[in-house]
Amino acid sequence: MYIRATGNISPQKTFGHGPIDEAPVVYNGNRLVAIEPDYKDIIDPKLIRRMSRIIRMGVAAAMECLQEANVKMPDAIVTGTAYGCLEDTNSFLSKMVQFNEELLTPTAFIQSTHNTIGAQIGLMLQCNNYNNAFVHRGFSFESALLDGMMLIKENEAGNVLVGAIDEIINASHTILNRLGLYKQSNICNLDIYQSTSKGTIAGEGATFFLLANEPSNTDYAKLDGLHTFYKPASVTEVEQQVNNFLQKHQIGIGDIDLIITGKNGDAASDKIYDALSTSIFNGKAAINYKHLCGEYPTAAAFAVWLAAKILKTQKLPAIIDSHQFTEKKIKKILVYNQYLGIHHSLTLLSAC
Amino acid sequence: MDKLMSDLKSQIIAQLNLQDTKPEDIGDDQPLFVEGLGLDSIDALELIVLLQQHYKIKLSNAEEGPKVFKSVRTMAEYITAHQAQNA
Repeated sequence: MYIRATGNISPQKTFGHGPIDEAPVVYNGNRLVAIEPDYKDIIDPKLIRRMSRIIRMGVAAAMECLQEANVKMPDAIVTGTAYGCLEDTNSFLSKMVQFNEELLTPTAFIQSTHNTIGAQIGLMLQCNNYNNAFVHRGFSFESALLDGMMLIKENEAGNVLVGAIDEIINASHTILNRLGLYKQSNICNLDIYQSTSKGTIAGEGATFFLLANEPSNTDYAKLDGLHTFYKPASVTEVEQQVNNFLQKHQIGIGDIDLIITGKNGDAASDKIYDALSTSIFNGKAAINYKHLCGEYPTAAAFAVWLAAKILKTQKLPAIIDSHQFTEKKIKKILVYNQYLGIHHSLTLLSAC
Repeated sequence: MDKLMSDLKSQIIAQLNLQDTKPEDIGDDQPLFVEGLGLDSIDALELIVLLQQHYKIKLSNAEEGPKVFKSVRTMAEYITAHQAQNA
C-alpha cells in the first residue's frame, strides 16, 4: 500500500507541501510548541470558534493531506491520540470544580472526547464512512495505522485517512514535569542527544497520511509493514523483534538504507537505542527526530512522516543533521520508536 | 438597560468565542439565532449557562427559551424582570 499524501503540523515549519530547506526551529526549555498555520484559509470561521487548538491542528493537517491527495471523501477516517483534547477536558473539569459541579460548559464537554477530531473531519466532509479513534497510550498512532492498513488489505477501503494528534497544555505539562518526564534544567532542543540527565522535552503535533491501495505517480512511499511489541524484557528481545520483523518482510538489516530512531535525550530511555547502535544497527546510517517534535505518545507519526518525505524527495531535509548519511539512493527506511520503554514499534517504508 | 445590554454583548462574545465580532457589531434587536448572529442549539445551552453564571438565573422552563433568547434586548428584559421579582 502507498502513502499518497501527508499533512503535518509540528513544532517545526512542516505545514505546507514545499521542501523543508530551513534550519530547525530552536527551542530553549523543556517544551516544544506546534507552529500553527493561519486557519482562516482552511477552516470555516463559523466552525473554528468551537474548536480548541488541538482540534484546529488535527483538522487542518487532515485537510492539507486530503487536498494533496485530491481526495474529497476518504473511504475511512482513523485517528490515534493518547491524551485527546486536553484543553477542552481541562476547561470543563476546571469549571465543574469552580462552579460546584452545577455549571458545565457544553461546548468544552462535547469537544473533549478522544474521537472529536476524527468526528469533526467526518462532519466537515459530510463523510458517513468508517470512522474510528484509537486511544492506546504509546500505541495510539500505531493502532490507527494498523487499522488503516487492515482496511486496505482486506479490501474494505481503497483509501484511508490515518492521523495522530496529541497536544501538551500548561496543566498536563506541569503534571508530567512533576512526574519526571521532562528535563529540569534549561536545555536547547538541538542539544538533547548530548544530555546525560533524566527526562526529555515535551512535544506535540498533528500528522495525517492518506493511505491508498493503488499506486499513483505522486506517492511518497510504500508502507511495507508495522509491528508493535510491549515491554520487552531485554535488548536481546528487541533485537529478536527487529530480526523477526525484517524476516517476515523477507529482508535483513543489510537491506535497510536508513534507520530513524526515537531517541529523546532521556538517559534511561536512550539506553536501548545506544545498545542497538552497537549491535544490530551497528554501522547503519541512523538519524533521530525528537529534537524536532519533542516527545509525546504519538510522536512516531512524525517519524513516519519524515521517512515518507525522505523517500519521496531522496534527500534529508535540512532540519536533520545528516553527518552520518551516505549519498546513495534511499530505498528502505526502518522507523524504530519506543515510548517510556513500554510501547515499542517498528515501521518499514520503501521508495516507490 | 443600555449598560446591561452592553455587558451582555461582551459576555455573549466571550462565552461563544465569537472571533472577529465586536460588541458594537451586535444590534440590540438583532435576532441571535439563525439569520441574525447565526447561533445554534449548542449556543442556546451556552446562553443558559451564561445566565446562570453571570446573573444567577436558572431557566427552568425550556419553552421560555426562544422568547428569552430572541435578541440581546429580550435577554436584558428577562434579566431585569427576574431581578425585580427577586429584589
